[in-house]
Amino acid sequence: MKFKKGLAEKNVIMKCGADMMLPFAVVFGIYIILFGTVSPGGGFQGGVMVAAAAVLLYLAYGYNTAKQAINTEVLRVGEACGATLYVILGLCGLFVGANFCRNIFFDNGAVGDLISAGTITFMGYSVGFKVLTGVGFLLLLMMSLLAPDNDDEEEEEE
Amino acid sequence: MKAKRIVAIISLLVILAAGLFAVLNAYTLPRAYDGKDAAGNAIDVVELYENPTNYDVSDADGIADIIVKQNLEKTMAANNVAAVVFDFRGFDTLGESFILLTSIAGAFVILAKSHKKKKEDEQ
Repeated sequence: MKFKKGLAEKNVIMKCGADMMLPFAVVFGIYIILFGTVSPGGGFQGGVMVAAAAVLLYLAYGYNTAKQAINTEVLRVGEACGATLYVILGLCGLFVGANFCRNIFFDNGAVGDLISAGTITFMGYSVGFKVLTGVGFLLLLMMSLLAPDNDDEEEEEE
Repeated sequence: MKAKRIVAIISLLVILAAGLFAVLNAYTLPRAYDGKDAAGNAIDVVELYENPTNYDVSDADGIADIIVKQNLEKTMAANNVAAVVFDFRGFDTLGESFILLTSIAGAFVILAKSHKKKKEDEQ
């Protein structure tokens, strides 16, 4: 068991690769979310890219470290917050007297500016946050099934 | 067994008749791509891909006309797909994101329960 544990946690290639890729993956995913209305991409795609950081952590350091590094309760609450934010931004159209999901205050700045498309931009951010937290939570949930329940119990068995 | 087979045959015939009806109706519709660009010259699909400004948008109608021609006035979003997803079809995106929410909630309920059960069995 000790050998197995060491094999899982001290794989130098996986560890160095994940250390190298993780910041770039997170930054690039956040870039895709932030520039969703200007360049190709959007909330869904960028959110999944950021959530892949959890997989990188799991591959390099195992489930226990990934669970310590990422608070799953925050992820679960954050997903609901993102969904609520989307609904509130959609209701903004009703508050100004138009229909649901109406785009308001979109005529500030030039075409191609970061915040030039009004509520579309912030709806994209809220969906990105929601997908990031939701898919990250789902991935951690699936990893918890792959991981052994408790290391101490298995050591006792052997 | 025999009744089941009869029901299966009848439902297959109904599906076949509906498919034939749809095909015969679709055959009478006008063609969407007539092989000509905005100026009326013959154009290839590959050429359209290489130079998208040649798209013939003169006879677009309904929501397609608004999305293609009035995107920048209505949304100011350079990415037209984001404008469609979050503005023109915002309600659809709401349902899409709630599908994700409910599926994750369902996965949490099922997986957490089986996990707990496994632990109880071990004890």
